Order: sequence, then C-alpha cells, then structure tokens
Amino acid sequence: MTLWYLLEKEFKQFFRDPGLPKMAIAFPVLMMLVFPFAVSMEIRNINLVVVDENRSEVSSELIHTCTASGYFNLVEVCSSPERAMDLMDRNRADAILTIGSDLDRKLGRGEDLPIGIKVNTINGTKGSIGAGYLTSSVRQFYARKNAGQGEGVASPSLDVSPKYYFNPFLDYMKFMVPALIVIAITMLTGFFPALNIVSEKERGTIEQINVTPVRRSAFVLCKMIPYWLVAFFVLSACLLIAWLVYGYSCAGSVCLMYLFTAFNIMVTAGMGLLISNYSDNAQQAMFITWFFMMVFMLVSGIFTPIASIPSWAKALTYLNPMRYYAEAMRAIYMKGSTFLDLWKDALGLLAIGSVMIAWAILSYRKTN
Amino acid sequence: MAVINVKQISKRYGTCVALDGVSLQVNPGEIYGLIGPDGAGKTTLFRILVTLLLPDEGLAEVDGLDTVRDYRKIRSRIGYMPGRFSLYQDLSVEENLDFFATMFGTSIAENYENIKEIYAQIEPFKDRKAGALSGGMKQKLALCCALVHRPSVLFLDEPTTGVDAISRKEFWNMLYRIRRSGVTILVSTPYMDEAALCDRISLIQKGRIIETGTPDEIVGRYPHQLFGVCGEPAYPLLKFLRTCPGVLRCFSFGSEHHVAAEPGVLTAGGLQAAVEEAGFRKVSVRDIRPNIEDCFMELAKENDYGQG
Repeated sequence: MTLWYLLEKEFKQFFRDPGLPKMAIAFPVLMMLVFPFAVSMEIRNINLVVVDENRSEVSSELIHTCTASGYFNLVEVCSSPERAMDLMDRNRADAILTIGSDLDRKLGRGEDLPIGIKVNTINGTKGSIGAGYLTSSVRQFYARKNAGQGEGVASPSLDVSPKYYFNPFLDYMKFMVPALIVIAITMLTGFFPALNIVSEKERGTIEQINVTPVRRSAFVLCKMIPYWLVAFFVLSACLLIAWLVYGYSCAGSVCLMYLFTAFNIMVTAGMGLLISNYSDNAQQAMFITWFFMMVFMLVSGIFTPIASIPSWAKALTYLNPMRYYAEAMRAIYMKGSTFLDLWKDALGLLAIGSVMIAWAILSYRKTN
Repeated sequence: MAVINVKQISKRYGTCVALDGVSLQVNPGEIYGLIGPDGAGKTTLFRILVTLLLPDEGLAEVDGLDTVRDYRKIRSRIGYMPGRFSLYQDLSVEENLDFFATMFGTSIAENYENIKEIYAQIEPFKDRKAGALSGGMKQKLALCCALVHRPSVLFLDEPTTGVDAISRKEFWNMLYRIRRSGVTILVSTPYMDEAALCDRISLIQKGRIIETGTPDEIVGRYPHQLFGVCGEPAYPLLKFLRTCPGVLRCFSFGSEHHVAAEPGVLTAGGLQAAVEEAGFRKVSVRDIRPNIEDCFMELAKENDYGQG
C-alpha cells in the first residue's frame, strides 16, 4: 500500500515535470534519427591520385575498377611519383595508387603485380579504411582478369575474400542501432534517478520522508521502478524507429532485449541512487554520473573493439556494466543470439547490479 | 513522567560544537519553547530528537523511547515540521496530505477530526500545487501534514520564521488548540516575544542551555533593576549611558534603551537628570519590567564570561 503510494507520487511528479516526459521521448528519437549518420565510420570521397607508368588498356581498366567502387574521387592521373607525393603533401590526395610500367605484361603470367598503394594516415581511420577499399578493388580487378584468362592459369597468391557474417555489407548503421539503444537507455536511467533523489535532498523533502516509518528499501525501489518503465518505452521507441526509418529488425528475440535492458537498469539505476547518496547537490551528482558514463562508454566496445585495448585496461572492462549490456544487445540484434549464448553477460550485469543496489540501500541513511 | 527527556546531549560537526551537554525535560501536554539566536543549536537538537541525527554523547528519549535504539517506533509517534518548507511543491495540497497520511499508514478521512480546524482554512485550495501557496498557507499545510497521523509529540522547528505578524498570532492560536487535544509540543524560535507564549522555555546559546523555566520564572530571576530611556540623539545616548556610574549594561530596544543597574543604586529621576545634564533632548526615563530578551542578553553575557 505504502509502496503503491510512493510509486504513484513518483509518476505524478514525473509527468508533471516540465522537462522529463519530453526528454524521455525526444532523446531516443534524436538518438536514432541523427546519430547513425553522425557517428558513421563509413568513409566516402577518398581523394585518389594514380601514378600510371603503364599507360595501357589494362591500367586504365584498373583505374576504372577503383573509381567505380564509389568510394574514391579521382583527383589526377599523373606520370611521376614525385608529382603524386607533392599532391599528398598538400593534402589533396588521401591515397596514391602506383601502377608499374610492366603491369600488362605481368598480368596473366602468374607473377606479382607491380601495384603500389600509399595512404595518408593523418586521419588513421580514413587511411586504413581507404587502403582496405583500394586493396579490395585491386583484388576484384585481378579476379576478373584471371577469370577472363580461363582455367589453367595459376593464381599468383591466395585469394582472400572475407565474408562478413551477420552484417554482410558492413552496414555501419545497423551496427550502431543496438549501440545507440544501449547509450540512450544507460544515459536516461543513469541520470534520472540520481537527479531525482538529489532534488529531494535539495528541497528538503527527503527529511519529511525520513521521519516517516517508510522503509528505505521501499523508498529506493520506488525511485527505480519508474525508470524501468521509461527504459522499456525508450527501447520500444528505438526498435520501432529502426524498423520504420532504416528497415532494420532484430535478428533475435525482442523479449531477450527487454530482459537484458531490465538487468541493465538494475545497474544504472542502482548506480544513480548510489551517486545521489554521496552527493549533496545536483551539480555534484551530474558531474560524477557524467564521468562514469563517459568512461563506461569509451571502454564498452561500442565505438572501438574491446580486443584492441591494452590488456590491463581489458581486465578493467569486466567491471564495466555497459560492456556486458552492449555485447548482449548487439549479439541479440545482429546475430540473434539466445540467452544460452549470453549467460555470461547476464551474470556480469546481475552481479554488478546486485552490488550497486545493495550498496545504494545500505548507504542511504535515514539517520546520520 | 517527561514526554521528552534529554540528558547531556552533545554533538560536534568537525571542530564546531553544535550542542554541548544539553539537558531538558518536557512534560505531557506542554508547549515548550526552545529560544535562541540562529546557530545556537536548536535545529541540531530537533534533528536528534526526530531521529534524523545521532548524538555524539548523551541520551534522548521521546515518549519513553530511545531516539537511537527505538527510532522506528518514534517515527510513527511524532510529527515534525522542519524550518524550511519541505513538502512536494509539484503535488497539490490534497495530494501532499494524502501522501503523508499514507506514509504513516493512515488516511485523511480517519484523522479528519484531528486536522479539521487547520485544514478547513486551506481546503478551498486543495487542488492548488503546494508550491503556489502563500507563506501562511504553506505553513498550515505543513502543520496538517505533521498532524495527520495523530502524533503524540509535535516538533516545530522555527515555524514562524518569515511569517507575518498576523499569521504568527494565528499560528499560536492553532498551537493552543492542538495542545488542548493532548499533544505535547516542542517549538523553537529566534523571536524572544514568542517565548512568553510558551508554557515553559529553555534559552539556548552556543549549544548550551543557559536558563530553563516558565517565562514568568525567568523574568522573575532577572537580577537587576531596569530602566527604559529615550532621548535624542539615540546612539550617543547609548554610549553615554554605558559610561554612567551605576549602569551595568545598556542595550538598544527599538527606540528605547534598556539600562540595567544594581537594584537600589539608581532611580528613574536621578538618571533623567543626569542624561538631561549631558545635553540630550526629548529625554524620558521610566521603570520597566524586564522581558525575555533582557533576560537572554543578561544570561548570554554571563555565559560568555563563564566561557572566556
């Protein structure tokens, strides 16, 4: 009964707040409509300079293959490597493709092709992705040429053709959709409860609650439940937008996504409450929450793979709840993983969540 | 048997001593006033009694229950109205009252009789948000919320601070009505004139109780003879009076100066002559009865000397 009333009060306050309900709607919508474009790592418009020393039909076909991929802007076809370097120095060229003078002769004879690739790696991502595109264009060209020569011609090198599972076209947006859901939910459910309790502190209403016989576990629980619902709403909205706007759908069970979201809220809401217990005002709570969110996000595997960070930091990511949540959400959305595949992530979230909530309840003192 | 029993309570915040060996007893059905300036330790003592703060030393009992051990039982038996308005500003009058009633496991309907007289005054605005109420109405709502669960002891921390004179008077009338229903009230105030409205009072300064008794008792214990002196210009007059032979202390009270002297050393007429001789205009000197503020000033001085 008391619990119900506490909840009713939370909801009344939530819906009467001039900003909160709007935020809960605007945040996922903006997140889903704007961010997939803004954070896309797909690289287009790579400025390409070709040094063509061959000047044959074959070499112009190679150049055509590269430009036809749509990733490159052909800046210039020049004959001297010095001229090409000069262009790169002046930042006019991102990549240089050098075609040796004996390309047409060597092709088809099973010899190494005299093709060189130079990339400008001031922007590392653009450089490495550019090199990748260029290599695959050359490979594509080579494969076609070989096929044209018919059977019996020895392949000069192993033909590596990667097949991208679960996201065959390396569609970055599809990759980001579950990640953005993770960010939106973690942010909302991390900040709201912390600010909510701190505002009760600032207004002194917490004192009035503290002199009532209400149990602190009931009080803390009632600060968490509303954000559970907010998170479910946000998740539904995000999935719906992804489907309507981008045509993406979840490969796995949507219910499983809700389950992991519920686990994640235990963590974020618990953490929010914990932070609010140790902060006296909204600024403090904001700053501490923001700090943890940033750290969690940067080493969660959302933007950069966890595998590529140093091993000491990798060990720390086991304490990062967002790592488990992001991993699970991506796996469900893109691969259709089941709970059996993800039980480790579930365990990680539940373990961190229980610690957070227990700590939050214990450190919330009605008396000090 | 005392409803509130405080024995040698001390509380420190870091190096700052908020309460230093405070003891007091409040009898059933009294309005007990804790009178002292800002920073004297009134709120700290209240927070200890309503179980929001743990004392460093000493013992406090409310309704026979220990504030540390039996805090949970105490919470359902007391009503607390903090100095700052701390109800939910975004909930309506009725919602606030309903909420606090429910938190105490009761309802408005069950205890309507208890709060009727006060609630009736704000009931016409029951759908208005608490944040949109005037100061006096906020105070009434807070009082209703503190009374809705029929507490046996009511703690009112500076309830009249920032409230106009008429509302203050009204508020005290409400307190008398509440007392009639058998509720014991501990009230704190920095206003000395409100001290006379209490059944018994303690004067508190710098974390120590410097005097306890009924307002009349305390006034009766005032050791000096007191004169009210008016004259122009006022400030030089104050300085002059302090240098007069036989004058112990002199404080300014509005337009009048209160002059304390050893009994029998000075007379009103003698003082008047001395002041006029010194060239002050519009001089009038009269014998006056000390009020609580005179007593407080006197005791505060003694307390200071005692410490120094």
